[in-house]
Amino acid sequence: MLLARSRRSVVLSTRSLVFSLVWLAASVGSASRASAADTDRGAELYELCTQCHGVAGEGNQAALAPGIAGLPEWYVLAQLQHFKKGERGMHPEDTGGLRMYPMSQTLKTPEDMQAVAAFVAAMPKVSSERTLEGGDATRGAQLYTICVACHGPDGAGNEALGSPPIAGQSDWYLLSSLQKLKSGHRGTYPNAVVMRGMAGTLTDEQAMKDVIAHIMTLHPTNAAAAAPNQ
Amino acid sequence: MIEMLGLPAASSFADDIDMVFSVIFWIVFFWFLLAEGVFFYLIFRFRKKEGVRAQYITGELKSEKRWITIPHNLILVFDVIIVIAAVKVWYTVKQDLPDAPDKQIVRIVAQQWAWTFVHPGPDGQLDTPDDIAKINELHVQVDRLHHFQLESKDVVHSFSVPVFRLKQDAIPGRVITGWFTPTKTGEYDIQCTEICGVGHALMPARIFIETADQHAAWVASNSSVSVASATVR
Repeated sequence: MLLARSRRSVVLSTRSLVFSLVWLAASVGSASRASAADTDRGAELYELCTQCHGVAGEGNQAALAPGIAGLPEWYVLAQLQHFKKGERGMHPEDTGGLRMYPMSQTLKTPEDMQAVAAFVAAMPKVSSERTLEGGDATRGAQLYTICVACHGPDGAGNEALGSPPIAGQSDWYLLSSLQKLKSGHRGTYPNAVVMRGMAGTLTDEQAMKDVIAHIMTLHPTNAAAAAPNQ
Repeated sequence: MIEMLGLPAASSFADDIDMVFSVIFWIVFFWFLLAEGVFFYLIFRFRKKEGVRAQYITGELKSEKRWITIPHNLILVFDVIIVIAAVKVWYTVKQDLPDAPDKQIVRIVAQQWAWTFVHPGPDGQLDTPDDIAKINELHVQVDRLHHFQLESKDVVHSFSVPVFRLKQDAIPGRVITGWFTPTKTGEYDIQCTEICGVGHALMPARIFIETADQHAAWVASNSSVSVASATVR
């Protein structure tokens, strides 16, 4: 019993330490954009998100939660707004989205949404492990040509078009997103409707795996450097 | 009695469950009053008096033991009354599955942290293209028998409709069949009553109990097949 308590205490201490480090890094990262009070508020709100997205925002495939650390603030904010309005996360086949819809309802004010988005954006990026097999990056590079117009040649994304960075994102989440976008389960907001047509050009799951294999060769650091909002 | 506290009874078996609740409440209330009455009577009757020493009573005499045995046996009798009433209602609500030619079958899928309700479309059958899937909205017809097929995608949830006095756990990997017949129109709460994760408190839903005409109109306006055919016309 004592041993179990001691282990639990160590786990909790480690969890608190990691969260403190992430908070510190986020505070430094967001110093130029947000006040300390905003960062504190963002950190406070983010504690609920840690249940699925992880303390460092690394994501958790078992919880269907993607890595979000270091995503652009505008993108995180836009997705939170889509969830809150029910434009995303309200389709019966979107199991992960259905989990996010009620979570978004806990953010009561635009300021809270902004604070947590800023906190997430300032978190240090976390590299993801590859989980998909069988993708052909060479064929994927050809398929990716249609994506370049919005997501950029290095997958950095484009704020003006509302296109998120995709380089560095987990491969399982990219596959899941492409499947939901193609089937129309992702949501009803304009970019999801546009992406439905784009994802429709990938004829089957193999094509999706191929293009994801190519995306996995793109480097997030280069993508971050090329991102228009960085 | 529960209705008097503000929670309507809107299913065919809600009154039966309320009856069991009332039986338990009044039996416990009677015994509570009696026990407290005896307690305070004895405190008053045997209060401190000048010249009278307190006695140590071991409770071994028959005349003393019956203060325990008589209430004990009476409580056992009342327990049997409660068990008979409860088993009868349990059988009606949980063991029996009434059938009717016009019964409606709905599928209820629980997940962290939402309910998906799949309603039959205009053809009245589930698993056909005109099915109507709704998130956090269940539409049913008053005075019509409904069977539900309850599933969970992830962890244990509990489907609870307080106005029906209905509560049923949803177990991952199992399809649990149950039934209800709504008896009052209106819009009421649905809750998850099993702690199911950090968002447990954030998965409320609503049940809409409609008249036959209202329900038919809702089905016609929400089925993709009927909408498509309406567009063609």
